Amino acid sequence: MIDHSDDARDDALSALLRASAPDKFGAGFADRVLTRVRAEEASLAATLQRQFVRIVPLAAAAALLLASLNWWNARSAHTSAIDAALNLPQVSIATAYASTAYYDNPDAPIGMP
Amino acid sequence: MTDPMPDDELLIRARKGDERAFAALVERYEGAVAATAIGMLGPGGDADDVGQETFIRFHRSLDRFRGESSLKTYLVHIAMNLSLNALRSRRRTFLRFGGGDEDLAGTPEPGVGPAGETDAAELKRIVQQAVAALSEKHRAVVVLRMFQDLSTREAAGMLGVPEGTVLSRLSRAMQELETRLSPYVRDGFLPTHVETTR
Repeated sequence: MIDHSDDARDDALSALLRASAPDKFGAGFADRVLTRVRAEEASLAATLQRQFVRIVPLAAAAALLLASLNWWNARSAHTSAIDAALNLPQVSIATAYASTAYYDNPDAPIGMP
Repeated sequence: MTDPMPDDELLIRARKGDERAFAALVERYEGAVAATAIGMLGPGGDADDVGQETFIRFHRSLDRFRGESSLKTYLVHIAMNLSLNALRSRRRTFLRFGGGDEDLAGTPEPGVGPAGETDAAELKRIVQQAVAALSEKHRAVVVLRMFQDLSTREAAGMLGVPEGTVLSRLSRAMQELETRLSPYVRDGFLPTHVETTR
């Protein structure tokens, strides 16, 4: 004879367990999560802002130093101050058309075809 | 009454920064995460922290969630990992300071009495206490298979053990629970209010 009482007991225990699962945290759980999400986003933005503020003066100082060096090196050439600071090569129509000469001889300085 | 917005739609909105859509997802899956965290850690601050952290991590990975598994399975997986970490941390604290945290194994035995004399909330508390008294490994299997209704394969994948191990742990856990809860589950008798509480 098959004893079905064990199966029935197992089913009843399973049902009891399923019915007894915790189904919520304390009141206001979603609000607590959103508060933490907002705090995390705010702290990320603040971190990026702090990094930006820290880097900007250094980057500006480096750019100014480089521009000054460029200008100093090119002070004797007849170039504008901006071209000198940015170390822009002198380009003319003639040098532009002479690009093949440049590619044939990459060592040739730009502006000196 | 309008149909609730599907998960996919809420996810799209949440990814665009819609806070209400994310809150709707939190409310929708609070139960699944609570069943895992509270089932593993017991009610209290630790479980609440794990629940919050689960959703914070989910928020961080909104763009990476591709829906390979259901959202519920994804969240339960995070909650289970965090709960196991919290239990490890509890153990370390316990070993280092010789106490200082509640040892779940020391949870008092649930009070026994005829099912008819126990109301729904009390019965729920007794069952949760009985689950809390199981070993960590057995508890994890009961939480995933019984509380979350996951398949044996899903539970095995989540816990990183073979399916046979899940089945044997579940069998032992159910035997233990049957002993502890026998006054409430006698010969298939189930208190009438159980089926209506969830």
